[in-house]
Amino acid sequence: MPVEHDEDHFEGRLGHALHDAGDRFDTDRTALAAAGQQRGRRLRLRRRATVLGGAAGIVLVGVGGALLVPWGGTPAPRTSPSSVAGQPSGTPSPSGTPVTGRQLIETLEGLLPEGKVSEQRARGAENPLLPPYVHVVHDDGEGPGAVGVSLDRVEPGSDRARAAVDCPDQALVPHDSCVSTRLPDGSLLKLFQGYEYPDRRVDTKMWSADLVTPTGQHVSASEWNAAAEKDAPVSRSEPPLTTAQLKELVTARAWRGYVDSLPEDPGKPTPTATPSTPEEPTVEAVLATLVPLLPKDAEVVEKGGDYTYVVVDDGKGRSLVQINVQHGMGDIAGELFGPDSETLEDGTRVTERKSGGDKGVAGAAMWTVDTLRPDGFRILVSAFNSGTQHDAPTRGTPALTMRQLREIALSPQWDQYR
Amino acid sequence: MRQSAADDYAQFAVARAGHLYRSACLLTAGDTHLAEDLVQETLGRVYVRWGRVSRAENPAGYAQTVLTRTFLAHQRRRSSTERATDVVPDRVAEGGDVSLRLTLLQALARLPAKDRAVVVLRYWEDRSVEETAAALNASSAAVRTRCTRALGRLRGLLGEDLGEYAAH
Repeated sequence: MPVEHDEDHFEGRLGHALHDAGDRFDTDRTALAAAGQQRGRRLRLRRRATVLGGAAGIVLVGVGGALLVPWGGTPAPRTSPSSVAGQPSGTPSPSGTPVTGRQLIETLEGLLPEGKVSEQRARGAENPLLPPYVHVVHDDGEGPGAVGVSLDRVEPGSDRARAAVDCPDQALVPHDSCVSTRLPDGSLLKLFQGYEYPDRRVDTKMWSADLVTPTGQHVSASEWNAAAEKDAPVSRSEPPLTTAQLKELVTARAWRGYVDSLPEDPGKPTPTATPSTPEEPTVEAVLATLVPLLPKDAEVVEKGGDYTYVVVDDGKGRSLVQINVQHGMGDIAGELFGPDSETLEDGTRVTERKSGGDKGVAGAAMWTVDTLRPDGFRILVSAFNSGTQHDAPTRGTPALTMRQLREIALSPQWDQYR
Repeated sequence: MRQSAADDYAQFAVARAGHLYRSACLLTAGDTHLAEDLVQETLGRVYVRWGRVSRAENPAGYAQTVLTRTFLAHQRRRSSTERATDVVPDRVAEGGDVSLRLTLLQALARLPAKDRAVVVLRYWEDRSVEETAAALNASSAAVRTRCTRALGRLRGLLGEDLGEYAAH
C-alpha cells in the first residue's frame, strides 16, 4: 500500500488508531476512583497550611486542650504562651514537645513587620499526620494581605525536598520571578513571585519562600495581595512583605526548632543517618543552568525536552552540546580518569577527550570535558560538529572550544545540584 | 467536604476514571502502572479543588488538563539522561489488531513527552489547537509546531501500518 501523505487522511487514521488502542485499556474504575479519592484526602492533609483556611477541622486559636501529649511520652503541661511572647524571634520548642498553634501564631506575629494582625489561625504539631501551619491577615496600612507559614519534614535530597525548592517551568506555572539558591549553611531557598491562579483569571499575586535545610527541615511561607488566597478581592498592589522580608521570615531559626518538635510519622521510616544520593536535577533545571554559561556568540537554536542538550549556532553551523549531571560516580573514577587526567586544588579531577563520536558518522568530531568532584559529583559536557549525533558534520569543529567546555564543566553554578 | 459535594465528587470520579485511565495509557505509551498512578494523582488533585472544579463549566475537561500536566510533571522529574524511548508498553489488551496497537504505542513512546501530550489532546481528546495550547499553558504556535513535528515522526513510523484505517 502506498504511503499516504495527505495530512487530513493521516490525521483521521491516527485518530481512529488512537481510539482503537485507547478504548481497549480497561481497569476497575470504582477501585481507581476510590484510590483517587483516598489520595485526595491525603493531599488535602498535606496541603499548604494556608490553603486550609476556611476548611472544616481547623484548630482555632485559644481553643484547645490544656494538655499536650508528646509523641510516645507522658502528658505534659502546655508550653506557656508567655515564654514565646517575650521573645519575638521565638523559642524552639524542645524536641519532644510538639509546637502548639499558639506558639506558631506568636512566632509569626513577632516576625512580621509593623501592622495590624487579624484572623489568626493555626494548628500545632500534636497530630503526626497533619502538618502544622499558621495563617494570619496582616495589614500595614496599605490593605490586608494573607500570610501563612507551614512546616514539615522532608528527606534530604529526596524528590519532595527538591520539588520544594525547584523553580517551576515558566511554561507550566507562569511567574514573574523565581530564584533558587543555596545559603551558606547549606540550606536551599526558593523565592517565588507568581499568581494564585496560573491562568491569571484573577490577578491575585502569590509570593512564597521555601527553605529546606540540610537536615530536611522544610519551612514554607506564602503571602497574597488579598485577605485570603482565593475568593477574596485583590486588596493591595503587592503582597505585604518584600522578598527580602519573606526570606527573613522563612529563615528565622524558630521554625526549624518547631520542625524538630514534629512527632515522627509512625508509618514512615525515619530518615537514614547516611546521606542519600541527591535526586538528579530536571532537564529544565540543567538547561537553565547551562544556557547562561554558553559563549555569547553561540545562539541556542534548540533545547532538549527529554534529555539535557542544546543545539547552538554561532553563525558557522549547528553544533550539539550535551551535558550530564550525575551523582555518586566516585566509585568509577578509575575508569573515567586515566593517568593523563589532572587533579585540581580542590580535588576535582578533569580530563579532556577528542573523539569521532560513537555513532560511526564519518568526519564527526566530539569534544568532551569530564569532571568529577571529590564527593562523586560528575559534570560531563560534550560538543559536536553537527546538530545531532547521527547526522553528517555541518562544520569542521564543534562551536565550543575545549577551554570553553572546561569552563562550563567547572562552573560553580553546578554546585546547586550537589 | 460536605456530604452532597462528596457524593458529587464520588460520582464524577467513577464516571471519569475510565476515560482518564485510557488517556493516561496513551500518554504513557502503554505503561499501565504509571497510568493508574497518574489517574489517582489527578483524581486526588481534583478532590482537593472540588469546590471550584464542580462549579467550572467543564469539570471533565479540567480533569483531563490536570492529568496532562501531572504526566508532564512526572516526565520532568525523571532522570535527565533517561529518554522517553525507554518506555515499553507492558500490557496490550487482546482483540483487534494487537500488533498494530503495539506499533502505535511504540511509536508514541518515541515522541518527546510534550509532543505525545499534544497528539493525545488533539487526536484522542479531539481538542482544538487553542484548547490544547491552553491545557499545556503553551502558545498556539508552539502547539502547531509540536503537532507538525509529531505527525511527521508518526507518519514515518506508522505510515503504512495505519493504511488499514483508511477503510474505517
